[in-house]
Amino acid sequence: MTGLQRATETGYDFGELMREHRSMVFSVAYHFLRDRDQAEEVAQDVFFSLHRNLAAVQSTAHAGNWLRKVAVQRSIDAARRRTRRPQVSLEDVAEPSTRPTSGDPMLGDLLRKLIATLPEGPRMAMVLRYQEDLDPAEIAEVMEIPLGTVKSHIQRSLVLLREKLARRGVGER
Amino acid sequence: MDWLEEELKSALSRKEPSEGFDARVTAAAQRRKVTPMPRRWLAAAAAVIVLAGAGEGYRWHQGQVAKDQVMLAMRIAGGKLNRVQTQIAGERQ
Repeated sequence: MTGLQRATETGYDFGELMREHRSMVFSVAYHFLRDRDQAEEVAQDVFFSLHRNLAAVQSTAHAGNWLRKVAVQRSIDAARRRTRRPQVSLEDVAEPSTRPTSGDPMLGDLLRKLIATLPEGPRMAMVLRYQEDLDPAEIAEVMEIPLGTVKSHIQRSLVLLREKLARRGVGER
Repeated sequence: MDWLEEELKSALSRKEPSEGFDARVTAAAQRRKVTPMPRRWLAAAAAVIVLAGAGEGYRWHQGQVAKDQVMLAMRIAGGKLNRVQTQIAGERQ
């Protein structure tokens, strides 16, 4: 067994940590960037960092929190570097030909497209709130921004999404 | 949690990366693995840096000495020139 698979200092297994946290790391990047290839690049980069810092891992929960924080930072960096794909604006999101209903995969797709049009701060706050089920205080800690800013990002984003959905004929059940 | 938040949770559920992700990351991380530099190489590198720094310092010092000599020569030449000019002016009067 090489140093890669096992950190002798801590006993934490790199492969196991990757298996446990890969979907979280990949999904943070994927839902934020909406680009599968780029999300995999970010996830790979995040796990390289884990590999370099394996000796500092204190627990699997500690590794999870650390990976989430790094994934958030790397995803934001990747979005800022991105030039090949222009940002999608709300106007570019096509109106669905039929009205999506609750539980409809079309509604999920529409929501993901609408989230992709949000500015980076609100978009990451929404990903962490609804993908990771973090409360605003935890999001503030991960994103290193004030709690009030997180709350405002989430509230404004929800208002905006409701408006956009209402305009597309999607409303409350 | 209202209907929209429920839909958001479902829309933003976790996804898996493509198949073979773990193997690719493991292989790439192993390639990237940096082997620590042996102590004697570190000592040699430190010696080279110190020598290069000392050489650079010596060259700078030599440059300063040469500059001072040029400045002194210019001051002497300037003084002599002034004296000659004063003499010529006196003779003309």
